[in-house]
This record gives sequence, structure tokens and C-alpha cells, in this order.
Amino acid sequence: MSKSYKDNLPISVSALTDEFMRLKRGSVTRRHFLGVTGLGLAASVMSRGLPGAFNAEAFAGDLGTQMSLATWPNYHDPATFENFTKATGVAVEVNVFGSNEEMLAKLQAGGTGWDLFVPTNYTISTYSKLKLIDPLDMSKLPAFSSASESQRFTHEGTVDGVTYALPKNWGTTGMSINTSKVKTPISSWKQYFEVAMTEADGRAMVHDYQLTTIGSALVSLGYSFNSIKSEELAKAEELLIKLKPHLYGINSDYQPAMRSTDAWMTMCWTNDGAQLARDMPEIIYVLGKDGGEIWTDFYAIPKSAANKPAAYALLNYLMTPENAVKEHIANGAPTTDSRVLALLPVDITGNKIVYPDEAALTPLEFGAAVTLTDPNRAELMARFKAA
Amino acid sequence: MRAFVTAVYLFLYAPIALVVLLSFNAGRNASDFTGFSVEWYGKALSNTFLIQALQNSLMVAFISAGLAAIYGTMAAMGLERLGKRGRMLFDGLLAAAIVVPGVVIGIATLVALVQLFALLNPIVTALWPSDNPPQFGFGYGSIIAAHGLFSMALVTMIVRARIATLGRDIVEASADLYATPFNTFRLVVLPQILPAILSGFLLAFTFSFDDFIIAFFVAGSKTTLPIYIFASIRRGVTPEINAIATLVLTASLLLILLSRFLMRDRPRPAPSE
Amino acid sequence: MAMTLATRKRLVTALLVGPSAAWLSIFLVLPFIAILVFSVGERAPEGGYQAAFTFAQFMNLPARATAFWNTMLLAPVGAILCLLVAYPTAYYLAIRAPTRFRMLLVSLVVVPFWTSLLVRTYAWIFILGARGLPNLLALIGLPDVRLLNTPGAVLLGIVYGYLPLMIMPIYVSLEKLDRRLLEASADLGASPVRSFFNITLPLSLPGVATGVALVTILLLGEYLIPQLLGGGKVFFIGNALVDLFLQSRNWPYGSAIAVTLVSVVVLIITLAMRLAWRFAGTRQVDLV
Repeated sequence: MSKSYKDNLPISVSALTDEFMRLKRGSVTRRHFLGVTGLGLAASVMSRGLPGAFNAEAFAGDLGTQMSLATWPNYHDPATFENFTKATGVAVEVNVFGSNEEMLAKLQAGGTGWDLFVPTNYTISTYSKLKLIDPLDMSKLPAFSSASESQRFTHEGTVDGVTYALPKNWGTTGMSINTSKVKTPISSWKQYFEVAMTEADGRAMVHDYQLTTIGSALVSLGYSFNSIKSEELAKAEELLIKLKPHLYGINSDYQPAMRSTDAWMTMCWTNDGAQLARDMPEIIYVLGKDGGEIWTDFYAIPKSAANKPAAYALLNYLMTPENAVKEHIANGAPTTDSRVLALLPVDITGNKIVYPDEAALTPLEFGAAVTLTDPNRAELMARFKAA
Repeated sequence: MRAFVTAVYLFLYAPIALVVLLSFNAGRNASDFTGFSVEWYGKALSNTFLIQALQNSLMVAFISAGLAAIYGTMAAMGLERLGKRGRMLFDGLLAAAIVVPGVVIGIATLVALVQLFALLNPIVTALWPSDNPPQFGFGYGSIIAAHGLFSMALVTMIVRARIATLGRDIVEASADLYATPFNTFRLVVLPQILPAILSGFLLAFTFSFDDFIIAFFVAGSKTTLPIYIFASIRRGVTPEINAIATLVLTASLLLILLSRFLMRDRPRPAPSE
Repeated sequence: MAMTLATRKRLVTALLVGPSAAWLSIFLVLPFIAILVFSVGERAPEGGYQAAFTFAQFMNLPARATAFWNTMLLAPVGAILCLLVAYPTAYYLAIRAPTRFRMLLVSLVVVPFWTSLLVRTYAWIFILGARGLPNLLALIGLPDVRLLNTPGAVLLGIVYGYLPLMIMPIYVSLEKLDRRLLEASADLGASPVRSFFNITLPLSLPGVATGVALVTILLLGEYLIPQLLGGGKVFFIGNALVDLFLQSRNWPYGSAIAVTLVSVVVLIITLAMRLAWRFAGTRQVDLV
């Protein structure tokens, strides 16, 4: 525990440490922790006094009673939605998905009922082209500050000068490894695939998502994460088919299997890596030296949303730094907003899983729009799964 | 043999017992038992989405099974009067409705309705006299229709099998005594086929209530209980789902006990030997 | 009334059959025509369907051969495993169980069918997961046993899920069995084993056939059990289908697979019916 907490918290450092250890052991809930340590209280008190912060009265009356959010597994602090419901009377239904393809497929088929969803950077241009999402009415989002956002991560939310999506957080796609089970040190995708077929036979996982699974296989072979060249894809397919009998599972929701130690290593997104390492220190998070993915997740509102007022209200609520900071503490993904960064405790901003050194990020690539929509990659993944 | 059967019952019930046991778990994670608590029952009953999903499932199951019972019975009676060709065609379609896998029904219905709605909605918009014309879309209607397809075929088959065992003579006797066809149906045929209709209804209800894959494709923005549970499993289940499963299990046990109780009081029909 | 009796009769028939005929047309015939049309189309650039006339989708079917063979293998194997567990149980319930408890025991077989298959399957994720059985096995010196996400786990889930459906038809056929036949057989000096093979088993075959056919057909379109207990590794054709619609968004290819699956199911059923008819024909002669 860092000493700098002392100034911010209405609780002594030793008591905080004690509470934190209890949290880690799982004997108190995260909510209890935030409550006792005053973090939650402090944030909610501050949010009332701040300009642009969420104001319940302003929205009351026309928000309806419920809305639906489509997002990723283990991606939010459940307390966020409970607080939002308390403030507005709008209950939030949370649906989780395993890949952007699945979200796109659902929206293309129509009738999703989502009011807000969490697409990744490379999808926004496709969604706007297919007219599946609305341009955002920024006047309804006073809590968002584009000046404090890092352009490197957030520029893809805007297509031809029109803002379609606001950033949630950025992150990387690396690997989580349970070091009490896997002794070979792993620092590249090449090694990951080798160990998956040897020491961790039957215990490794890949995502149920072509972009990352094929992308990482390509990287391990020395190609670009985004390659759509048929001869490179054929090599990747060969590797994946060879790997398949050695896998534990093909699933984008790998936390349960990693926690129960059914799986020993997995392809992993930053936030899950941070959560796993926080609760089980033997699980480390590694970025590929040979490459991999860097990404930003956004919030966007589907054209078909039934309750857009509530979607704007929740989006504005989530853009408010005092609410966003709790989300970041809970889900462990790095923020794109310097206002939020300033509020985060040092043990999070100093966490190398969440905020890796710039050097570690250099080999990583942002996913491209065509990587998601390329029919050959989609078919390759489907073939691999059905093999 | 008894040991084997005991083992089978254990096999059938151990996982269910585990589901019930974990519903009383104090911890948040469904896979670790940390203490006894009924807290999740409170949570489940105050979770609007879970309750909404349960209500949706009950409503969809009730309506689809009800419509299936009515139209299926009508079809079973009408089929007798159909010509040979018509009957063969109808038989083929009924059999298809039963044997085509649910996943195909779901997908084909989705594909067809997407096109149908795209065709119909502009027409409705053009003809509608004022603003905000109603639009066709996926929802309760499409789930009820897709579930009802299988259920109706099921009821038709069951009721028809029952009608086949009825003697023509009893109907003819009724007609000889100047009963109108409707009275013959109401007083003579219906009481005989009612158990078949009821069991068809129950089967249809169970099928619809438990179906995941068809609803998964045609539910649109509506959530049924299986869809909610499937989503929760992906989200990492809390004992809340176990609580609702336990409640559903208890309700079905009570239903079975009730039906047994009702059966016992009724005088049994003479065995047909 | 001007209406003749024949017209009236026809009208009543139309009224009786009309609603279900309409239902079958809109929600069975129309969807099937739709997937037939789609199956000769092309995938749109961003996914979905675009009109075309090509048999490319059908030519590409071998790319899902493994999922097809998995299904064609695991469905009957699952059904037969189910049968092996179900037959003795049904036999006990129909013949050996004390009359007082019979209805209760039969009800107990039906009850699990009323609980969500999803929840029951999920229970097996606990049991087979590392914190369940493998944890216990580790205590007796078998560390790191992996049960989940294997074909065995999927088969177990199948037997578990479909057992009640197999027990019931066999039970019904055994219960109808005329006990006097068995008594007569015993009186004539046949051993119980011989009576079983000569009388009980043949007479219960219709129930066995119904159960096996029912479970096999349902398994051909199975999605949930492989999805939950196979971890995306044990793939049925149903899973491949869902994938094509909900991930790779290749509606025409998915439609082609759906059309193929339906054809296979219809073919299997037609063959099974032929066999059953032939069989039933000879048996009836014996019985009369």
C-alpha cells in the first residue's frame, strides 16, 4: 500500500491495508471495501459538487424504468449500475458477449433491444457505414471532455468528423499464465503456442473470436496481427488446427476456468489479466514481445435503441470521472481520460499490467476495420472451431 | 437391479441437489460454498429482469400451448374429414414440424421473418393514416408462433391418436338420438379426448418454457428465462439463478403432487380389457 | 338455407383445419423456402445475405465435415448410452417396483424434465470442473485430472439431459405388457432370463425404438450441451450453424448447412420408419 492514500482517505493506512487484504481473501465484497474505506463515499460526494456531473433531477421523468447494456464479461463494477438505478430509477440489464462479431451479427439481424453497447475501436467505421449506430448528441453528454482524452486511443470514435462513440478504456491483448502450473517462462506468442502443445497440453485457452485468435497465431508466425493475405492465413490455420486437440477450450470468458485452475494459461485482455493477478498472484499477465493487439473500447448507441434518453443518461454518468474511476478500479483496464487518471490510486496507475511501459507497447498493433469484416478470416475461425 | 436404479436416481438428482444447495450459498461466487443464507432468494425476487424473464416465459408458454391445444385439437378433428391427398400433405407437414431440429426452426424463422418484415413494414407505413405506424418486429409474437408450431403438431398427433381409439358407433348413436354435431362434440367426444388435449397442453407448455435455441433466434429484444440463464452463465452465475431454478423446481413438484391428488379423487374409468 | 350439406361440411372442415394450415404455411413452409433461397445466395461484404444463384455454399459443405461426423457419431452413441441406463430403470419401474411407490417413482423421473435443462447442465460444470470431482480425485492421488470440455463430458451431459425422455416410452411399453404372458411362460418352464428375451424384450421394442429415435433426432440438432460442456471444442453441427449466423455472419452458408441437416434428418427418419414398418408387420402376425 502506498502512503499517498493517507491524504485522500478518511481511514488509516493500516486499517485500509487490513481491509484490502480482507477484500483480496474474498471475505468482504468490493462494495463493502469501497464503503468502509470511504472511496465510494468520497467519489459520490464529489460528484454532487462538480459541474457537469450527473444530476438526477435533470433527467427524472423521461428516462423510463429500464434499459439494456451489451458489454463484455467482467467489465464493470456491479455497484455502478446499482448506484445509477438508485439515482435515476432506471434498472440496467447487462448482457455480455464474447466477440465484436457476435455484437455485429446481432445488430445486423435486428431487434436487439440494446440501448447502449461497448464496441471496440476497429468496429465503429463499419457500424456507421451500415447505419447501425447513431451519431452522438454531445449536448446531452456534458460530462465528457474531449480535451482530457488521449487522441492516440480515442480518434476512432469519430468518423468523418462525426462522433459516434465515446471511449470507455483502452487495453492490450496478452496472455495470462498460472506460474504455479506452467514453469516455462513465456514472453512471446511463439512460445505461447509451443507451450500450449507441450507443458500445458489440454490446459490452454484461446478466444472464441477470430480477430484475436487468428491475430495472435499470425503474430507467432512472424506476420502482422491484421494480415488478410491468404498464404499467411493458411499458415495460421495450419497452426491453429494443429493446436486444437491440445486446447482446454475456445472461449472468450476464460476467467472462471483460470480461477478454478481448469485452465493454466489463456489469451487475455488487460482488464481480465489485472483482475486475475489481483485475486491470484500466481497468475501473471504477459505481452508478446513479437507483437499482439492494443485496443480501445467505446460506448455507442444503436440506432434501434428503445430508450435513448436512458442511454444518454447512463453514458453521461459513466463519463463522469468520479464514476469512471470506480469502474477502472473494479475492472482494471487503463483509462483514456487524464481526469480519471488523476483520481486513480497509485497502486493502479503504477500497476505494469494496467499501464505497461511504452517499450512493451511498441510491437503491438491496433486492429483494423477490415480485420474484423474479412470473410476469409471469419470462415477460417468457423472452420477451426468445427474441425 | 435395485442398486442400479438407486444409482440412476442419484445420478438424476445429485446435480439438482447441488443446484438447490448452492442457492443457499452466502457467497457471491456460485462455485464456493461459504455459508448458509436465503439472501439470494430476496435478490432473485427483487431482480426486475429475472422476474420479467420469468413472466415472459410463463406468458409465452401459456399462450403458445393454449393456442396449440385449441388449433391442434381442431386440426385433429378436421383431418378425418380431409381428402386423402390433403391429409397426406398435412401429415407430412406435421411430422416435419416435429422432427426439424429446433436450431433450424429458429434460424429459418429468423431468416424468413427478417425478409417478411422488410416487405410488410413499408406497406404498413404507406397505408397508415397518421404518424408512428405500427411496425412488425421480433418479440412475443414471433416466439409464440415458433414455439406454437412444434406444440400444435404435437397436440394434433396426441389428440388424433386418442380419436382413433374412439368408436365411430358412439358418435353415430349420438347423431341417431338427434344431437346436433356441436352437442355430440361437447357431450360425447370432448370428455373422451380431454385428457389427451390436457397432456398435449402440458407437454407443449414444458417444451416452450424450457426452450432456449428457438427463442434465442426469434426473441428480438425480449428475454425468456432460458435466455436469461444462458446469459448469466456467460456472465458468471451468482446463486441467484440457483434460487430461481429452485423456485421453479418447487413449483413443478407442487404441480405434480396436485395433479396426483386430483387424479386420486376422481373415479377411475374402467380398464379397457 | 341455400347451402348444401356438402358445402357446409366442406366449410366446417376448412374452419377446423384452416388455422393450423395457415400456421404451418407461414412458420414452417415459408421459412423453409427462405433458407432454400438463401442457400444459393452469397455472403454480403459485411456479412448477411445478398441475392445470387450459386451452388458455392453447397460445394463448401466438406469444410464442416468433422462437425457432421461428430454429430452423426455422438448422437447415436449418446442415444444408446441413454438406452443402456434407461432400460433397466424402466423395467424396474414397470415390473419390479412396489405398486404403492410406482407412480411416485415415475413422477420422480419426470420432475427433472421440468427443471431447466440449462441449469441442470450448468450443475455439471461445477461437478466436472477442477473444484469438483478432479479436486476429490486429487485427494486420492490423481492430480490434474481434466474432465470438463471433453467428449466424455458432452456424452455425460447428453445422457443426463435425455434420460427421462428415454425412460418414459420404454416404461409405457413395458407397463402395457400382459403379465399373464410371463406367468404362462414360467408355467411352461421357461427361466426368467429366457422369458425376458423371448417375451418382455420383443414386446418392449416399440418403446425402445421410439425412445432411441426421439433422442437421436433431438441430438442431431443439439447446441446447448456441447456448448456448455464441450467448451467450444466438441462441436456439433448445431454449434456450427449457430456460429455461422451469430459470429461469421455467413447466412447463405448457414442456410445450406441447415438445408443439408434437415435432409439428413428426413432421410434417417424415412429409413427408420421403413424398418419399423417391416418389423411391426412381422410382429403383428406373431401376436394375433
